[in-house]
Amino acid sequence: MSAIIVSGLVSGALYALVASGLSLVWGSLGVFNFAHGVLLMAGAYVAWWVSAPDGLGLGLPVGILASLTFLIVAGAIFYFLLVRPWVGKANAELAVIMTTIAGSIFMQNLVLEVFGGRFKTIDQLVEGTVTVAGTPIQAQNLLTIILAPLLLVGLWLFLTRNRTGLAIRAVAQNQDAAQLFGISVQRVYILTFAMSAVLAGVAGILLGGLFNISPDMGTDPLLRAFVVVVFGGLGSLPGTILGAYAIGLIEAFASYYIGIYWTPVVLFAVLIAVLVVRPTGLMGRPA
Amino acid sequence: MIRDRFTAWRILGAVLVLAAALAAPQVLTSAVAQNLAILSLLYAVVASNWDLTLGYAGIFNFAHVAFFGIGSYVAAISTLQFDLPVWWDLVLAVAVVMVVGAIVSALALRLRGIYVALVTFALTQLCVALINSQKDLTGGPVGLIGVPDLQIGDFAFGSDPRSYFYAAEILLIASTIAMRWLATSNFGLSLVALRDYENYAVSRGIPARRQRVLAIVISSIPTSLAGCLYAHYLIVASPDVFSFSLTTLLLTMVLVGGAGTIYGPILAAFVLTVGTEELSSLGNFRYMIVAALIVLTLRFLPGGIWSLRRWRRPAAPAPLSVALDEKGAP
Repeated sequence: MSAIIVSGLVSGALYALVASGLSLVWGSLGVFNFAHGVLLMAGAYVAWWVSAPDGLGLGLPVGILASLTFLIVAGAIFYFLLVRPWVGKANAELAVIMTTIAGSIFMQNLVLEVFGGRFKTIDQLVEGTVTVAGTPIQAQNLLTIILAPLLLVGLWLFLTRNRTGLAIRAVAQNQDAAQLFGISVQRVYILTFAMSAVLAGVAGILLGGLFNISPDMGTDPLLRAFVVVVFGGLGSLPGTILGAYAIGLIEAFASYYIGIYWTPVVLFAVLIAVLVVRPTGLMGRPA
Repeated sequence: MIRDRFTAWRILGAVLVLAAALAAPQVLTSAVAQNLAILSLLYAVVASNWDLTLGYAGIFNFAHVAFFGIGSYVAAISTLQFDLPVWWDLVLAVAVVMVVGAIVSALALRLRGIYVALVTFALTQLCVALINSQKDLTGGPVGLIGVPDLQIGDFAFGSDPRSYFYAAEILLIASTIAMRWLATSNFGLSLVALRDYENYAVSRGIPARRQRVLAIVISSIPTSLAGCLYAHYLIVASPDVFSFSLTTLLLTMVLVGGAGTIYGPILAAFVLTVGTEELSSLGNFRYMIVAALIVLTLRFLPGGIWSLRRWRRPAAPAPLSVALDEKGAP
């Protein structure tokens, strides 16, 4: 039982990191980033390449730093190439889904070309096993369970206390009014994209310590994040985090009691049920 | 919108297309060319039917990928697991897909905009999960191999690939005529009206959800038939039909060809199928080229390649105006 809860909390934490980035971008730009999973993958690859002995061999701390720096830049580049030309146009949502899908195909094949298809592993941030209340937990799992909420609380404080964070929310609420108050909408958009990329990257580095990394490692977390944001409500950060843990736990219990192969069916059923009752998710605003 | 007028040009075009359709399987005799042509034709059916819902009705959905895949699996399962005669599986596939399409679209279309895209995307993933889980019935991740050939009397289609060529052509021509007719009928006009001015259309008595569900269900019929032919022709049904790469390829056909035109996606289906094959020596780089092509087309040619035919005239009124904005929401 406690093992199921732990595995549910770990997935929940990872989904929350991935999905909150998606939700943040949706909230302020009104577009959906299908390349989010590829940013996660790129974060893991940069961390691996900089840190691993068969890459640059600079050690994990440098690897993580390099990875997060890379993601800030990559987020900004993605924004300029794939999002900016369409933001505010009549069909932005559709066009940006296509351009970000295109961007993810591009990145996946680039990584495949540069690093090859063989699986890589990142060193775990912390090794060994810890026993909490009689349950042995892999230290990396425990770190994930603790680190993700800390980061998300940090994000929440930033969005509610910090001037720049308030500017992001102001733009999300009313772009014209925000502009009148002297907020540079453009800068807010870049910042939002970069922050969302960094959140995906952290998830990628954590995932890379738990599983092998491969060019398509971002696909599965992204699909789960879709379910999470639809479930919790797009654009609502509390809804997204609640949704992430709910989906993580439902998944863990379903795969234990009903079997791993029926879990997606259960998730889909839950998703449909929620949407029939609340078409914008638990805490979402109308699309 | 003006109703179609049968000008001399249209008749000439139709005659030319029919002549080409009759001649092509006799002229393109190499195995590679025939294979590419058959795949292009089947992809063209899926892309142009997807376009009715995406371009005309403005419903951004991924359901057609699922319809195509379910079609191919119904063909494989009914012939291999239940020994149903071939041809019957086509009827069964259409029936199954119409039911799935009706249920899912009735539920999904309670939602709006991006949520429809996400739920229908989840549907395709559900199909993959079910296929992987029901190994005994579906062959799991490997798929089902040995789907029997279509047959007329004693003549098996596989003995002469030209027969699949003709079958795919007949399907594409029939589906195109149906789609064009639908798109210009009152039904099609009501879809466009709902896409562009939903509140006005609803106030004039157009039942929004019914028309949209109908659009999805009707366009699911040729899509599922294309899936059946695909399984019979390749003699396999594999989960690859739901893959991200095939999904992207088909969606690219719709958008690069020109959403809301029917003909554009068909043209793009041929260009892209042949194009990616010609570039196959480039390995992974070909996908990167296709990706760059998608972004550049959307940026500089939002009407798709079909809009090029009227390059002298002023720009067409944004055929890609898939109405996802909240202004239309009730």
